[in-house]
Amino acid sequence: MKLRSIAFLCMLFIGLHEVVGQASAKKILPFGIQQKKFTNGLNVVTVPFNSPGLAAFFIVVRAGSRDEVEAGKTGFAHFFEHMMFRGTDKYPKEEYNLILKSIGASANANTSFDRTVYHMTGNALMLEKMFEIEGDRFQNLHYTDHDFKTEAGAVKGEYTKNSASPFQQLFEKVLSTSFEKHTYAHTTMGFFKDVVDMPNQYDYSLTFFDRFYRPEYTTIVVVGDVKAADVNKYADKYFGKWKRGSYAPTIESEPEQTTTRFAHVQNPAFPPYISLNYKGPAFSDKSVDLPALNILTTLLFDQSGDLYDKLVVKEQKARSLSGGPIMARDALLIQIGSSLVKAADLQYIKDEVTGALENAKTVPVDAKKLADTKSNIKYSFAMRLDSPDQIANSLAQFIWLSGNPESLNSYYALFDKVTPEDIMAVAKKYFNSNSLTIGTIGPGEAGNVK
Amino acid sequence: MKHTFRKLLAMIPALFAFLLVVAQETIELKLPESNKVVIKLMFRGGSITDPAGKDGLANLTAGIMMDGGTKDKTAKQIQELIYPMAVNYEVSVDKEVTVFTFQVHVDFLDEFYPVLRDLMLHPSFSDEDYRKVKSNYEVYVDQVIRASSDEEYSKMALEDQLFRGTNYQHMVGGNTPGLAAITLDDVKEYHKNYFTRKNLTIGIGGKYPAAFLAKLKADMNSLPATGPELPVAGKANTPDGLNVEIISKDNALGSAVFTGFPLPITRSNDDFAALMVANSYLGEHRKSYGKLYDKIRSTRSMNYGDYSYIEWYENGGGNMLPVPGVPRSSNYFALWIRPVQVAEGLKKQYAELKDIETGHAQFALRLAVREIDEMIEKGISKEDFELTRQFLRSYNKLYIQTPEKQLGFLMDSKFYGRTNYIQEMDKLLAKLTIEDVNKTIRKYWQTKNMFITIVTDDSEAEPLKAALLQNKPSPMSYSNLVKAGLPKDVVDEDAKIANYKLNVKAVNIVNSKDTFKPAPKGF
Repeated sequence: MKLRSIAFLCMLFIGLHEVVGQASAKKILPFGIQQKKFTNGLNVVTVPFNSPGLAAFFIVVRAGSRDEVEAGKTGFAHFFEHMMFRGTDKYPKEEYNLILKSIGASANANTSFDRTVYHMTGNALMLEKMFEIEGDRFQNLHYTDHDFKTEAGAVKGEYTKNSASPFQQLFEKVLSTSFEKHTYAHTTMGFFKDVVDMPNQYDYSLTFFDRFYRPEYTTIVVVGDVKAADVNKYADKYFGKWKRGSYAPTIESEPEQTTTRFAHVQNPAFPPYISLNYKGPAFSDKSVDLPALNILTTLLFDQSGDLYDKLVVKEQKARSLSGGPIMARDALLIQIGSSLVKAADLQYIKDEVTGALENAKTVPVDAKKLADTKSNIKYSFAMRLDSPDQIANSLAQFIWLSGNPESLNSYYALFDKVTPEDIMAVAKKYFNSNSLTIGTIGPGEAGNVK
Repeated sequence: MKHTFRKLLAMIPALFAFLLVVAQETIELKLPESNKVVIKLMFRGGSITDPAGKDGLANLTAGIMMDGGTKDKTAKQIQELIYPMAVNYEVSVDKEVTVFTFQVHVDFLDEFYPVLRDLMLHPSFSDEDYRKVKSNYEVYVDQVIRASSDEEYSKMALEDQLFRGTNYQHMVGGNTPGLAAITLDDVKEYHKNYFTRKNLTIGIGGKYPAAFLAKLKADMNSLPATGPELPVAGKANTPDGLNVEIISKDNALGSAVFTGFPLPITRSNDDFAALMVANSYLGEHRKSYGKLYDKIRSTRSMNYGDYSYIEWYENGGGNMLPVPGVPRSSNYFALWIRPVQVAEGLKKQYAELKDIETGHAQFALRLAVREIDEMIEKGISKEDFELTRQFLRSYNKLYIQTPEKQLGFLMDSKFYGRTNYIQEMDKLLAKLTIEDVNKTIRKYWQTKNMFITIVTDDSEAEPLKAALLQNKPSPMSYSNLVKAGLPKDVVDEDAKIANYKLNVKAVNIVNSKDTFKPAPKGF
């Protein structure tokens, strides 16, 4: 088994947030990004990379659970991702599967708050075929009412397998407690009652496709043993006639939180856990807030830090400690999580973490520590650029956040600008008890943390 | 002359030592364009080397090495030193091997190296590190495995059944009494006995100078030369009939199913290529084109996915592609049926199902067994064979997309007596015939004797036990919404599946808190 299982589980709960940056003025991505914007709104991104015979083909649709604005329709973006595998008139499901199999690619899709990503990594010589089958289903998806109802069962099955995890249960509660108006109040899986009702929503599914599966919502990313000219040629051939849509969702903004809120999962047979969830900033590649928060949370909660040493190594009251902002299009959460040995220490850990955050408001960080953190962030990123798949994933994130893959480079460039004063400023701005939701897993009926 | 001869004689021990350094088994993967170096230190010995009564010792020892300090640095000092370098290191412990993996950017190779060396040669094994890591592993085997993912839980519980009474039975992480019995001295002793030169294979990939490798080899050569003989890996038991263990827990929304039976071959055997085709056709991991996935998920919407395996698959819930570092000489075939609905949930969701006694586990199991039986009886078609082979010949290459994976698969190849598993399998696949595949299916697959593990809700356990023992018909309980649109061929097939006889001989219900009991002493 891989070690650090608990830490790993905690990481899952915290969510994957990229902590990246650069120490020089040079772009962090050492490969050129070639973009072509088509007149119908489709954006096509090519990054040639030395991976003989191999290409990663990603399609990023900027529609996720954030866009589920109607009551009773939570989980729909994810459900729709499933429906995208149900075929077209030209390539019915069985035929689509046979072609996928013949390509020999690793292909799948996933959905999150802000986006749905379809990905295929495989033989670069099959690039045109990849474009053809994807172009077909993105424009001509066709499924029956029965197919739709059947697929709903698979989504319920996915909810069922996820539901066993207390972290998943807590995450659901933390979101619905932290947010009252914004669609971030529900997870990407959706509320269970809506998942159970999905088979009845066939007509709505057609509306959903009509709204979001449009070129202006979509970016194609191809990384690997390819040429931009070929990629653009195939994009034109297979996606060029795709019609632009007209829908833009109205997402309610979240009113300012005025008091600490609480979310609790009772489970006596699981290690006690606490998560502190502060309202964070929306993604921007112009403001230093997110990079400053990334640096601050890395400094405070990394294994090399003093708090980790105190709580996890010396006192051994905590089993793990980690934290950071979730990168999202709208303001989401900065999460700090810790798995504990005893539930009796939940308050103590909360006080220690908030004490460190208070301290960061007035005590400037050490210059060397700041430089080390920037280095850590830069090298962490550089070490991940091993394969077309990894590069395409990194680009996809910035595409869904901003719509532009170049924001990856501009966001990382911001790290150079972060000063100790910026870090104190973000600590003051974001770490306030009135914007906090405390999530707990423990044996009692309530978390009993103030 | 004589003098010279004597001088030569005197040099023999030195020459011998030099030869030992040179002879250290090393696998190299030179990638001059890479920006990093990957070092893998693979030791023979994993959880099968845990002493009786101390299940989890190998895993704990390796864990403390990676999480702790060295002779002259505390864990915190190491973390502070490597923080700006973003070095990544971890250990993977499995049944038969333990693999330490270090990934470092070329800019920091020399600066980081002393840490790597001392973590391996001079871990501090401080009381502080020991208590911290041990406590985390205890809570994993006590609580986390039973309460995080019912799928992973059922997979571990299946191995417990398959290998009961052998050194393969216990989880790599150990079990509650095993971990409780381990002392810090046991940990130090294990390090000395098993992390030896004899058990070590060095792997190195990326951009590194020859002098670096020479230094690494020379240093690793100061590990103890030998230790205790490695035990023979326990083999999977063959049950009489289908032996089912139902693990009953509170508030489970579904029934998570894993089944398996012994398989006498591994990647070492050339028949493996034929079995790979058969397996991929039946249930390629996380792919929508396996038969099981198609029939259970796509057609009947019973769950999130269904797959089959001809070897251990690490972290199937997280990994889309197989990972290296978990080679095994003891093998089994497995089916993974992801959680299907239980009766309690279905009754709440659909009024028309208010009278059902059990959920979908029995039907799913019947369907899966019937699919295997059909493959044994009829084989696969020429067309399916060609397509599946074509898929695999391309797909296998995706296993090695990064330097770390490439190096790992080369090292695993060695374990199986091969040089390059991916390339050799490709050659075997290329010359395979449909007859080879269908003959191999008949040779290695059967459905009469299997272990089955089902993690389910306590409300489902007793009715499911009765239904399985009595081979009761299990008509598929669709909601009216889905039932109305079912094609006739599905309805007809459902009727056959509902009455398909399973060779069930024993069904036991085990309370979740009673799982993972250690093997009797002496094993």
